[in-house]
Amino acid sequence: MVIFERIGFYFQTVFHIASDPVHIALLFGSVILGIIFGAMPGLTSTLGVALLTALTYGMDTATAMLCLLAIYVGGTYGGSYASILINIPGTAASAATALDGYPLACKGEGGRAIGLTTTASAIGTIISMLFLVSISPLISFFALQFTSFEFFLLAFFGILISGTLTSPDLVIKGWISGFLGLFLACVGRDLLQYYPRFTFGIPELDSGVEVVPVLIGAFGIPQIIQVLKDQFQMGETQKFQRILPEFGTIVRNIPKIIKSALIGVGIGAVPGIGEDIAAWVSYGAAKNASKHPERFGTGEYTAVLSTEVANNACVGGAMIPLLNLGIPGSPPAAMLLGALMLHGVTPGPMINFEHPNFIIEVAAILLLASLAMWVVGMLLAKQVVKVLRIPTQIFMPIIGVLCIIGSYALGMNIYNLYLMLPVGIISYFLIEMGYPIAPLVIGVILGPMADENLRRALMVSQGSFMPVFTRPVALVLFLIIVWTVLSQFPLFKNYKNKIVAKIFPRRAAKAALLPKRSEEE
Amino acid sequence: MLEKDKLRKTDIYSGAAICLFGLWIIVQSLQMPMKDSWGGVQNVWYVSPAIFPLFVGCMIMLLGALLCRTALKIVGFNAFRETVRWLLSKALLQFFNSIPNLRFYTIVVLFLSFVFLTIPRIDFFLSAFLFLTVFITSFYFDDAAILKKLFFFYLAGIMVLILYFALGLNDPLSKVVPFPADMLTICFIVSYSIFAWLLVRSNPVLRKKYRTAMIVAFVSPFAVGMIFKYFLLVPMPFEGLVVAVTDYFWYLEF
Repeated sequence: MVIFERIGFYFQTVFHIASDPVHIALLFGSVILGIIFGAMPGLTSTLGVALLTALTYGMDTATAMLCLLAIYVGGTYGGSYASILINIPGTAASAATALDGYPLACKGEGGRAIGLTTTASAIGTIISMLFLVSISPLISFFALQFTSFEFFLLAFFGILISGTLTSPDLVIKGWISGFLGLFLACVGRDLLQYYPRFTFGIPELDSGVEVVPVLIGAFGIPQIIQVLKDQFQMGETQKFQRILPEFGTIVRNIPKIIKSALIGVGIGAVPGIGEDIAAWVSYGAAKNASKHPERFGTGEYTAVLSTEVANNACVGGAMIPLLNLGIPGSPPAAMLLGALMLHGVTPGPMINFEHPNFIIEVAAILLLASLAMWVVGMLLAKQVVKVLRIPTQIFMPIIGVLCIIGSYALGMNIYNLYLMLPVGIISYFLIEMGYPIAPLVIGVILGPMADENLRRALMVSQGSFMPVFTRPVALVLFLIIVWTVLSQFPLFKNYKNKIVAKIFPRRAAKAALLPKRSEEE
Repeated sequence: MLEKDKLRKTDIYSGAAICLFGLWIIVQSLQMPMKDSWGGVQNVWYVSPAIFPLFVGCMIMLLGALLCRTALKIVGFNAFRETVRWLLSKALLQFFNSIPNLRFYTIVVLFLSFVFLTIPRIDFFLSAFLFLTVFITSFYFDDAAILKKLFFFYLAGIMVLILYFALGLNDPLSKVVPFPADMLTICFIVSYSIFAWLLVRSNPVLRKKYRTAMIVAFVSPFAVGMIFKYFLLVPMPFEGLVVAVTDYFWYLEF
């Protein structure tokens, strides 16, 4: 009965939103804005969500979520426009799409490619929405059994895995970035004893580092500096004809779509890892499974399909840990967490008790956002593509003003600006030196959770770490953390290979042959 | 991101800096109450506010040292010596004078002056107009020589504004003239616009770009500012001459 009630409430929410003209206008407006943010190289869906957060400050939570999720969905999809038409990924998430999307546009099939990405993105979002609704109660149920030790380890794991998988250079740099974020989270009065830490007598620092200005600074300012310093030039846009929904291609590739969606949801659910990794993993999986892998990179429809399904499926996937554990699954989800906190909603295992229908509302919004994205993509793509003609030297300074007024408007505190700009400039240098920014942001967000739960756990155990080894979930998390760290060291890799060779001699022999073959080829 | 070999060289320094930063966090954390009483609460080590920063500091120090060691292992001490030699040579000056770096300084100076100087003291619309005018014209013309001239002109104007506020001229002048800082900013914007026009007037392509830049720089702050001020009811960081005028019209009873 409960399931039917939930399904009933889900459709009720869908119809409630769809029947309100203001909601519909906001939905379409936000999706278009998201597509524009995604399409413009240099702008990202994270930045779009960050800037729109300030505008949703005065709205009720449901309307704010409608706008923010719509811009997130639109932004993830919009990146494919620039990838296909000018061979420059609008966002990192659509970089894999450019490999086959642009050759298709060069062949004069740009319209078909955009049609395919539009339908694939909508399907990816809808599948991830189904996962969000079905898995959330299970995760919430398990999360309720968690104690402080588990939450501390979970936060710690989130930072480590995010650092491991998002680092463009050495993994250590990803971890350093995460710990720098944790340090920023330490600034201010501590939550248990109200002791001022690293405040240097500045009263504005007592309440700690505000998350949203840090996010805007960390994602917005480096982007502006990079684009203008490196004199980024927009390429010539490829022309395209009618946009078709490509239902035939979709139907023929249903198994591949499901596989890509599963990859997207799975990667989205891992803390701090974004749509870009989902798209690349899905691209690799599609290439490996293909009968004609040599066609990949020359304009293969299944390649475009797999990347776009996966990156949009990541949206719903990222919502799963965000809503049930309070751990953002991707950088835009981190921004959404900040926005939710501003609106008085604290995501975590208690969300089903404090806001019983919230997850269903989010799922309903995701469905409507994906439909709105599909409609906009089919009807307005030609108009939206015109934004690619705006020179970066004109829109980047405007984004700068938006970053500044957006940071200020959240709390109407000029001190937010004094924080946002140095964080932005430092982030620029960190990016230049190969440090990823996502773990830093995840660290700032998860820092209070890790700090509070570590101390609370030790308080309960009277300073003993034994519960880590006696509680099964804590032990599993601890072992995963140890594995994540150790697996990055060559010494451990060698030992692992030796052990594997002893246990599975045939597999080891096969693995040893593979590199030789590829070298010969 | 830098190239791989350059990255490893910078890793030596960034690793060392991060290691020192971790050490600083540890030193600061050790000054927090570990066993003393704070706010009437007798501390034990595991409830201390120092425990988490200590853990973070130790990890940062450890990882910084590991990064430094890894980088040194890859590039060797010779590369380290080469970098030190490069830092002491004339090549460093050439590097600082390069065009990409000039663009970087321009962006950073523009942001710093906007956030720390003009926004807290000058009407938001005027400071945003000045920021956008300089920002867009500097980069949209896409000419290194013009960028250099415009940057130094802006720097001179900023120095005047800094002197004006540092000498405390605003308070006595505001008794004589309304909104003196805003008036000064308007003069700065006008003189900058004239200077930029003089630089591009002979080139028809740049003239067109100049017009576009000025229109965008003028319209954007009004569009953004109006939304925040009158629709989202966010008071501007500093409200001066322009806000007084827009307030007058907005609240005018017809």
